Amino acid sequence: MSEARIEISNLVVRYGDVVAVDGVSLTVRQGEHVTLLGPSGCGKTTTLRAIAGLEEPSGGLIRIDGATVYSAAERRNVAAEKRGVSMVFQSYAVWPHMSVFDNVAYGLRVRSLPREEIAREVERALDLVQMRDFARRSAALLSGGQQQRVALARAIAFSPRVLLFDEPLSNLDAKLRAEMRVELRDLQRRLGVTSVYVTHDQEEALAISDRVVVMNIGGIEQIGTPEDIYNRPKTRFVADFVGSANLIAGRVQDDAGDPGRVTFAAEGGPTLQAWAVHPPSGAEDRVAVRTAYIDIALDAPNGRANSIVGTIRQRLFHGDFIQYIVDSPVGALTVRRPPTEPFDEGAAVTLSFAPEHCVLLEG
Amino acid sequence: MPSGQSVTTAAILMFCGGLVVYPLVYLVAESFNVSGEDSFPPAEIGLGNYADLIDDWHVLANTAFVACLATLMAVAIGFLAAWTLTRTKLPGRPQLERLMQLPYYMTPLVGALAWSIIAAPRTGFANQLWHGVGGAGDLVNVYSPFGIAWVMALFEGTVAFVMISAAMKSMDPALEESARVMGAGKWRTMLTVTLPLVMPGVLGATIFVFAEMLGSFAAAFVLGLPARYVVVTTAIWQAVQSFPPDYPRASALGIALFAVMFATLSLYRAVVRGGNFATITGKAFRPRTMAMGRLAWVLFGACALYVVVAVVLPLAALLLTSFQRFATVILAQSEFTFANYEAALGFGAVRAALTNSLILGVGVASIGVAVMTVLVWIIYRSRAPGHVVVEYVVMFPQAVPRMVFGLALLWAWLNIPIPIYGTLWLLALAYFTVLLPLGVRTLAGVVLQIDKSLEECARVCGASWFYQLRTVTMPLLRPGIIAAWLLVFIASVRELGVSIFLVGPKAKVIAPSIVSSWLSSSSELSAALALLQTAAVFIALVVMFRATRRFSGEPL
Repeated sequence: MSEARIEISNLVVRYGDVVAVDGVSLTVRQGEHVTLLGPSGCGKTTTLRAIAGLEEPSGGLIRIDGATVYSAAERRNVAAEKRGVSMVFQSYAVWPHMSVFDNVAYGLRVRSLPREEIAREVERALDLVQMRDFARRSAALLSGGQQQRVALARAIAFSPRVLLFDEPLSNLDAKLRAEMRVELRDLQRRLGVTSVYVTHDQEEALAISDRVVVMNIGGIEQIGTPEDIYNRPKTRFVADFVGSANLIAGRVQDDAGDPGRVTFAAEGGPTLQAWAVHPPSGAEDRVAVRTAYIDIALDAPNGRANSIVGTIRQRLFHGDFIQYIVDSPVGALTVRRPPTEPFDEGAAVTLSFAPEHCVLLEG
Repeated sequence: MPSGQSVTTAAILMFCGGLVVYPLVYLVAESFNVSGEDSFPPAEIGLGNYADLIDDWHVLANTAFVACLATLMAVAIGFLAAWTLTRTKLPGRPQLERLMQLPYYMTPLVGALAWSIIAAPRTGFANQLWHGVGGAGDLVNVYSPFGIAWVMALFEGTVAFVMISAAMKSMDPALEESARVMGAGKWRTMLTVTLPLVMPGVLGATIFVFAEMLGSFAAAFVLGLPARYVVVTTAIWQAVQSFPPDYPRASALGIALFAVMFATLSLYRAVVRGGNFATITGKAFRPRTMAMGRLAWVLFGACALYVVVAVVLPLAALLLTSFQRFATVILAQSEFTFANYEAALGFGAVRAALTNSLILGVGVASIGVAVMTVLVWIIYRSRAPGHVVVEYVVMFPQAVPRMVFGLALLWAWLNIPIPIYGTLWLLALAYFTVLLPLGVRTLAGVVLQIDKSLEECARVCGASWFYQLRTVTMPLLRPGIIAAWLLVFIASVRELGVSIFLVGPKAKVIAPSIVSSWLSSSSELSAALALLQTAAVFIALVVMFRATRRFSGEPL
């Protein structure tokens, strides 16, 4: 299976007066699995559809494997069917008037492949999604999860250069979704096909991607590996949208202008050791601390960096973790700890976190 | 792709726009013609013809009276039937629901003929029986404003029924249930929740039915003329039939009728758009039904009675009459004969009319539905500029009364050197134009149900537009196409309003032939023809139910 590189530069998509995508630039490397993550209306699906050729952009450039498929400057817009990409739709779009086999064979028949090859490729694709026994079944009789698998098999059967996924798991129930996530990641690794995936589910994005592109209001907020996005959120939006984080207001104290460790004076007193990914400009007024990265102890602060005293106001038992709301001089902080060592409501505690987990956000 | 689509859209827009607008331009011009001779453009224009309408005030008053009365009855029938069939527990509901749709396919012409056989003064079956048992005078007289309204209401009642039950079905039962949970009783819920939510639907149906009544011709023609009770549509017909034909007067009447009908339908659109609340979500709910106890049988009886007086009784009367030499219900006096069917099916003008109607039905349905499919695709799927205008143009003929459109076509093509007046070609063109809204609406219902990504997926898989159309779009549209074909076929076979002005010696069709045989006072031959027409319609109807049931449980 050949792989292609996708280059998008300065993509703009307008619907009348509304700018859905506003100057998005992005490169997807060969064989890479990139996820566009963002709330509804952020332009992620529109970007994906523009790559597929289903949406006509009004500006910018899209290249697939070096070939320009859209260019505003050259007034070129290659039709969807000539781009050699494939897509899994949110609604699955499994054709109800065909059998499972006919659905999966569609892309192969379009390419007028010999009969035996079609049969072989369909079988291979159905094997990959464990739907081989359903080949003769009418597609109208499938369950949601089965339709999902058929849609996936159909998308990979004709060995496309690029696979696009438009929220493919959003219509499945939670358990099935978790299973399909594992399978999708596995499949993507085995096929090694370049893929772009769209979702609003941050857990899903972190779990299955090589890189995550966080989008908001038509633009890109941050691009990075899942660990990067989680551990080093660049903006308040990313810290808020991906995972759960505490935002502490204040200002940078020693304005050395270097990336790395900085001292941050939080409103309400304590001075924190924080981490700046980029040289601070001085306009920064917030640090983010992941709720999972804060330790709780009953003993008094013992001079460690970033220790804050507080009182547990509320305890919520979630099963996999316990969430505490702790009142502290910097405001109410949310802390998530494993359920192994519970603390009581009303207890006086000391919170602490490592300087590299206290991330300075862009102003 | 976009440029190709734009060109196609523009071409179709020009073609449809021409078909619809062009004849009306002629009609408007003629309505201002006060020169005394028929020419286009008129040698002298003025408002004289419209001023003359004031002298016709009794015609206008008659039209308003009959339309109001008929609307009132039709909506009463429709509301009661809709409520009974959607909101109460009733024995045999699915069958009854299907039977309730039959009157629509009976056509007012056939119904009016049948009811004149049943209830005409002196000779009507009911009055024959009345005299037979020694009654004096007439028991009933259908040759009256009430008779006209009665027959019109019987056959429009179904339309009201379908529209009102759609409103009732699209109401989420949770809206009523939450009122009940909050402590409101059955009646309070009905008054404060159910009625306000259903009202826009009822109001919409009332206005729509009223517009249809204004433009209806057959009942007023068959039942009104013997009593010299003239409404606008029959006045137009008389003006054209008089010697010499008074086209300016007919045109002015037609334009006035069109203006009122257009205003009424605009009001209908405003009501339907404005009064939507939460009721119309496009989703059909199965509403909670109430157990009515013994009252259920009364309601069942009422619905069944409607089907009997609108379908069974008329068909029985026609059947009996069509086999008699002279129509009589007193069987001891009757002379049975096949002569009427021999006359209808033997070689001659009548048989030619039957054949022509079938040819037109098949032809218009086949070519028309193909064109309509493309139109629907452009209106609802393409982003080609102007697709909104296409929708408007395509739906426009609905706002033009059939009679008026027929008159406009007559006038337009008389003035054009293309010799298709008096041929089947003009009839075909006219049918296509007036049936555009019907076909497009039927097809649109199916197109809108097809998820767009089903088509997009085909493109992404590498299919060209035509390949996608052939392998995905068309197969998914098939049930809708079959339904549209049969509906257009049915509507062509029964068409009267447009045809009556466009038939010629070499281009006769069935409905106007029924009218002329009626005029030559042969109710027996008319009955035979009406039954043949009804048979063709019902055969198509059965095929349609069979064909569409396989794909969906919904009747159309």
